[in-house]
Amino acid sequence: MSEQHNYFEIFGLKPGFSVDREALAQRYRELQREFHPDKYAARSDREQMLAMQYAAQINEAHNTLREPVARAGYLLELAGVEISPEQTTADAEFLMQQMMLRERLEEVRSEADPAAALDALEDEVSRLFSSEQERFARRFADGELEPAKDSLLKLQFLRKLQHQVEELEEDLLGDF
Amino acid sequence: MALLQISEPGQTPEPHQRKRAVGIDLGTTNSLVATVRSGSAAAIEGEDGSVILPSAVHYSEGGAVTVGSAARQCAGADPYNTMLSIKRFMGRGIGDVKSFGEQLPYHFVQSSDEADKGGMVSIETVAGPVNPVQVSAEILKVLASRGSGALGGELDGAVITVPAYFDDAQRQATKDAAQLAGLHVLRLLNEPTAAAVAYGLDQGEEGVIAVYDLGGGTFDISILRLSRGVFEVLSTGGDSALGGDDFDRAIAGWIAEQAGLGTNHDVATQRALLDRACAAKEALSAQDAVEVEYGDWRGTLDREGMAALLDPMIDKTLRACKRALRDAGVTAEDVQEVVLVGGSTRTLRVRERVESFFGRAPHADIDPDQVVAIGAALQADVLVGNKSGDDLLLLDVIPLSLGIETMGGLTEKLIARNTTIPVAKAQEFTTFRDGQTAMAIHVVQGERELVQDCRSLARFELRGIPPMTAGAAHIRVTFQVDADGLLSVTAMEKSSGVSADITVKPSYGLEDADITRMLQDSYEHAEEDVAARAVREARVEAERSLEALLVALQENGAELLDEGELNELEKAMEALRLAHNGGDADEIRRRIETLNEVSGPFAARRMDASIRRAMQGHTLDEFDQ
Repeated sequence: MSEQHNYFEIFGLKPGFSVDREALAQRYRELQREFHPDKYAARSDREQMLAMQYAAQINEAHNTLREPVARAGYLLELAGVEISPEQTTADAEFLMQQMMLRERLEEVRSEADPAAALDALEDEVSRLFSSEQERFARRFADGELEPAKDSLLKLQFLRKLQHQVEELEEDLLGDF
Repeated sequence: MALLQISEPGQTPEPHQRKRAVGIDLGTTNSLVATVRSGSAAAIEGEDGSVILPSAVHYSEGGAVTVGSAARQCAGADPYNTMLSIKRFMGRGIGDVKSFGEQLPYHFVQSSDEADKGGMVSIETVAGPVNPVQVSAEILKVLASRGSGALGGELDGAVITVPAYFDDAQRQATKDAAQLAGLHVLRLLNEPTAAAVAYGLDQGEEGVIAVYDLGGGTFDISILRLSRGVFEVLSTGGDSALGGDDFDRAIAGWIAEQAGLGTNHDVATQRALLDRACAAKEALSAQDAVEVEYGDWRGTLDREGMAALLDPMIDKTLRACKRALRDAGVTAEDVQEVVLVGGSTRTLRVRERVESFFGRAPHADIDPDQVVAIGAALQADVLVGNKSGDDLLLLDVIPLSLGIETMGGLTEKLIARNTTIPVAKAQEFTTFRDGQTAMAIHVVQGERELVQDCRSLARFELRGIPPMTAGAAHIRVTFQVDADGLLSVTAMEKSSGVSADITVKPSYGLEDADITRMLQDSYEHAEEDVAARAVREARVEAERSLEALLVALQENGAELLDEGELNELEKAMEALRLAHNGGDADEIRRRIETLNEVSGPFAARRMDASIRRAMQGHTLDEFDQ
């Protein structure tokens, strides 16, 4: 268990942005049936430790492949594109749009119907997310790695916004 | 096949001999032990004919310890020396206990000498200070002896359940208690998962299951997907300080208010109020109204009145359900089965509210007090090797995010809540001063942004970093959470490959030295002597090692080892077998260590072979399609 395996190889999937979710889930269960530490409970300590490490790798691979932003990042990493955490998109129009969305988020509480305002915002963010995903898939398939990276950075932005929407939703829930 | 000659009958147990394994539900109010016999799981009765062991421990002057009903009966007359609901203090510090915001009839002391050092609370008794781990170990010992009595011999292993919402310190405390009680822990299993196992295997369910678990002191909600024997926990949530005890307190508060008692009562009054509150609560599950009296005051509590008292707490649990559903990426309509666990789900109001929230009648066919222990027993039976595990696999998650403290007291999350375990995450750190050779990492658990709002788990100190200019050292720190949900940390300096030494200071746990001391203390009161137990435990471990290796060698020893390696292994095994027959615990441990070293490469090759096989098998499938 010395080497790190390619996540797509672990799951027997063709590397690419589109992933058969059902096949992924099924293969995941098969692999865990084989390598989960519970299957090694009667083995030596050393084998138990190795199984735990491999099971952790399977989990990491599964999380990466099923989550679109993580999957996109992993594909670029495999293609040798470096992404530092401080990097951000230079698309001024996109950034402006993000600022406006964030302002709307901040104003949700003062709306007459906060829940409806939040729902509308949530829908819009997920629409933007879907179209950016498609753009990434197209760019990556065409080998346009730098534009694909720009799409990924935007996806990260949108994902973060989605989390903030969820957090606010939770806060609103806690209020009643 | 010269390999088969290694086995010596009578020296190591036959691999196919049935093992003695139990499942233990170590509860806040009550505890149980269950086991699988002739194919079905059932709780084991105690001498008193009851399967339930009240989680109560009483300490007398001179050190005599009573556990169970007899101990609970002491609570009224001798509250300071009677430990009830001790589970709430597991892995908790004095500050936590104070923030429970209620009167507790105990004299708390800090377990460490330096009060500012933190650490788990201890309670002063006539028999001296005891900590929650020791108290829990007393309960576990009684359960273990029920198990070994019923199974006719020493236990080979136990699965012990914990609330899914238990943090690392609480889990570690539970494992420490088991160690102190002399139990071999096969796995810490989350209570809701155990309950799902008990139901799922019984009924062959498929689909999304919600487990609503309200015990005496804790609340858990878990959302699972069951698919052909694989239980995949999708999300979990809850509150480790909310339970039926809070219901009793709310009702007791109401009685006190009605009876004009004010809010400050002595311990005996509070206990009497709680007893009446509990009785009223139970009565209201069968009737519409109940007469309550205290002193000169008499009054009536009806279902509506009780609902008003309990609803704020039930609301809290339903909010946690809502969040768990969202984390799981499912809606209430997707949930096919709702399972109720924990004695507090007997309260009618809880059932009503849960039913209306999920829009379906919850399951409560298996006794909610026993369902967790039964699920644990089924899992124990598989893990110990009695039953082929092909039809059961549990994939559990980490309940709370793990993070580290960064500049300005902020938390940086490393592993998000609801990530499937086991999980490992690596993070790189660098030095900020020339020649810096040590650094400290503060690990916290929780969802909040500020470190002070999260739970401090431990401080890891890395030493032995090679001196370099500031920013030149790259220290790769790996955080690993195992299948029990327990964290371990390793670190390595990347450019030099030097692994840094790590010392762990658990914030609310016990250090290894504490446990050793507690073990020694416990012998002072027991007939068994230290050396005998040490030898016995070392032997069991030796047998386990030998057996595991024997099975491995039979599987693919000839294929993966050359003759020289095989000889070396056989020699190490023979040396361990000799040590096993002798009576020196240290010698046995040394030989186990040597055997582990010698068999290390074999273990790695076996693992590589399995991985290759798994990948190849899959490629072949792909061709078939």
